[in-house]
Amino acid sequence: MQQTEEVMFATEAQMDDYNDQLPEIASEKYLIFSSDGLMYGIKAEQVNDIITDYAITYLPRVPGYVRGVINLRGQIVPMVDIRLRLGKMPQDNFCGIVVNVDGNNVGILVDMVEQMVDVPLDAILPIPTSSGQAMVSGMCTLPDGNTMLELDCEQLLHD
Amino acid sequence: MGSGNDSILDMYLYETNTLLEQLDGILLTAEQADTFSEDSVNEIFRIMHTIKGSSAMMEFSSLMTVAHRIEDMFFIVREKGMDVVPEATRPDLFDMLFQAVDFFRGEIEKVENDEPLSQSIDHIVNKINSLIDKIQGNPTSSEPEPAAEAESAPAAPAESAPAVGVVDQDYLFGIHVYFDEGSGMENLRAFMLTNSVKDYCSDFICFPANVETDPSTSDIIADQGFLVWFRTAEERNAAIPAVQAGASVREYQPVDAPKPAPAHDDDAKPAQAQADAPKPSQDAPKADAPASKPAPAPAAGQQHAKESLISVNLSKLDQLLAVVSEIVITESMVTASPDLKGLRLDNFTKSARDLRKLTDDLQDVSMSLRMVPVSGTFQKMNRIVRDMSKKLGKKAKLTLIGEDTEVDKTIVDAIGDPIMHIVRNSMDHGLEENEADRIAAGKDPVGEVILSARHTGSEVIIEIKDDGQGVDTQAVLNKAIRQGLAAPDHEYSQKEILNFLMMPGFSTNTEVTEYSGRGVGMDVVKKNVADVGGTVSISSEWGKGMTTTLKIPLTMAIMDGMEVSVGKSMFTIPINSIQSSLKVSAEDVIHDPAQGEMVKIRDNFYPIIRAKELFCMEQGCDNIEDGILMWVESGEHSYCLFVDELLGEQQIVVKPLPNYVNGFGVKNYGITGCSILGDGSISIILDVINVYTAAHNAF
Repeated sequence: MQQTEEVMFATEAQMDDYNDQLPEIASEKYLIFSSDGLMYGIKAEQVNDIITDYAITYLPRVPGYVRGVINLRGQIVPMVDIRLRLGKMPQDNFCGIVVNVDGNNVGILVDMVEQMVDVPLDAILPIPTSSGQAMVSGMCTLPDGNTMLELDCEQLLHD
Repeated sequence: MGSGNDSILDMYLYETNTLLEQLDGILLTAEQADTFSEDSVNEIFRIMHTIKGSSAMMEFSSLMTVAHRIEDMFFIVREKGMDVVPEATRPDLFDMLFQAVDFFRGEIEKVENDEPLSQSIDHIVNKINSLIDKIQGNPTSSEPEPAAEAESAPAAPAESAPAVGVVDQDYLFGIHVYFDEGSGMENLRAFMLTNSVKDYCSDFICFPANVETDPSTSDIIADQGFLVWFRTAEERNAAIPAVQAGASVREYQPVDAPKPAPAHDDDAKPAQAQADAPKPSQDAPKADAPASKPAPAPAAGQQHAKESLISVNLSKLDQLLAVVSEIVITESMVTASPDLKGLRLDNFTKSARDLRKLTDDLQDVSMSLRMVPVSGTFQKMNRIVRDMSKKLGKKAKLTLIGEDTEVDKTIVDAIGDPIMHIVRNSMDHGLEENEADRIAAGKDPVGEVILSARHTGSEVIIEIKDDGQGVDTQAVLNKAIRQGLAAPDHEYSQKEILNFLMMPGFSTNTEVTEYSGRGVGMDVVKKNVADVGGTVSISSEWGKGMTTTLKIPLTMAIMDGMEVSVGKSMFTIPINSIQSSLKVSAEDVIHDPAQGEMVKIRDNFYPIIRAKELFCMEQGCDNIEDGILMWVESGEHSYCLFVDELLGEQQIVVKPLPNYVNGFGVKNYGITGCSILGDGSISIILDVINVYTAAHNAF
């Protein structure tokens, strides 16, 4: 018994050592934006562009959350309003993040783009409830104390 | 090769090289799997069919024959499945195919360098034949007879390069002589030639060496030609007149052998030994032959007919076009900047004008890169019709209409093969066998094939029409039943029967000819056209001929469009589908019980479709008197689209909608694409037919 406990302590000590080094290697940059009072994060490598003040052209016969298309330097990019997509009330201020999902550029309309942060991968925890947050694949606490919800862009588009 | 044929030759080289590359890829994967999938069997079959056809057109008969034999073989494999090839034979099969690819490559290279093609294809044809026999399961009769083997062995070197094996390092300036095909007794002719060369110059050696005493050398000479080597170029040049004057000399070519590299010494030595030997046995040249195989090809730069076409990834062209249109828009944003208002800037204005001119040019060039006239493809058919009418003894002429129609490069690439197959079919099966039949039917004795291309709103329509006997629907149906494609006790409409023609493996002609047969034609046509999103339809009247129509959507093109607005949104209607625009008063509108609206134009009633309602828009005119009606027509549908305002005509670049948006099925509502207007705003391009169907389903 005594022996087993020793072994367990030893393992934990080693684990701590391991964790000390890990965050520097296994972290990822996230772009944080806010929408309806919540903070969301998108992997920075998916982000192509941050845009403001583009005229959105209405596109008929698409779901309401597709607000239309914009002309991004000659490329036609559809814009998805994340508020509408998540079933919230729309707002007028316009700030967009163009993300690349499966080779297609899609713009996401958000309230405001906040900052870029390094998030250690092991700090991202699974969401406790499975219902209602299908577009969110994980969450984590940011250094400033806010909670970031990791947005699953694939889910946002295909479903 | 006449200069007029250059572009055809270029096409041929480019096409064949691409096909060979494709074939190589298929073979490599197939060899790893040690079997051919059904798809690759079909693909190889098609590739061989195409090479066969285009080589025949270019009169490269050796290429044609080999391709034909391989096609024959894969016909069997296709019919009976890959299991028909015994495991033990498969390595041979792959070897043979790779050899065949090398053979084609070698020949194509010769065509590129303007060298004579090798006539000795017996070895490869024999190989294929023996394989075919093995596959068919009678190996005893198949083994090539000893004689054939002996014949095939010395022929081997000819497959990779003309036999310019250096015989002696001191004799490096040669003349490569070919005698008339089938002239016979080539060895004696060669001997006579050496005699007359002796009059000009006495110091030379020849290969094969002992022509006058060994009659079996005549085969080698027939296959590889006869080589006379001199010490110096002067001596060689002096002897050329003798060769020129020689009897039965088909062609000759001076060859300069480079100083053999040390590695080739081994090759040269046995050859030298053989040349020195008084009476070398027939085995010697045989042993020598494979050795001379890697001999360097003629050195001098003979690269006349190298292809002048390069293939560029279309996505790069898309990118280029996107950047260019962006430049054009940015340019107008700069020069029309509001900051410049009220300033007198003479130098700036001048430079801006120059810039405008240059960007316009740039735009034109980058657009023209993608657009090519169909004439290149159409002209190719002239040759096919000519050759086939000679070969089949049918008088026929080809009429081309709308050759200048420009279509996207992808489309031209995709329709080349289909058109060729259809034209061949028309010539082979369509036109009557005998002139008398035509005269009896009251037709011009000279058959006619009409090839036409035209744009409609959103499609290119290509029609291949012949005035031959038409399709015997009963015969087609019988055949379809025999092939198990149709049920015997089912009634089929004319259209359904004609569709059988496009089923894989269907061919009405029992004879397999060089040009068509076996039904590769129409299913290839359907596949290739479907690949670019098009459709094929056949119509025919017995006794009157047959028309094949290819309808291909403009995947990407420049289009003349009419800009209209509804509320704040802008839409583009293809100008070709617009009949006219008109203002109507409320009294002119006729209502039907289902709340539909109609208007009477020139004694006809046309339904009114309100864009605002169809597209569920918030803004826009409701009062019919405030807006304007666009009377549009496409296909069978004609109707009036009610919009707010007419903004004007514009040339636009069609940009496809993002995949994400297409996923919502907006195409079904007539939204086919977007275009970016001069001020950077986006206009939605409408497809007149789908707008109608959408509106029809909605009401």
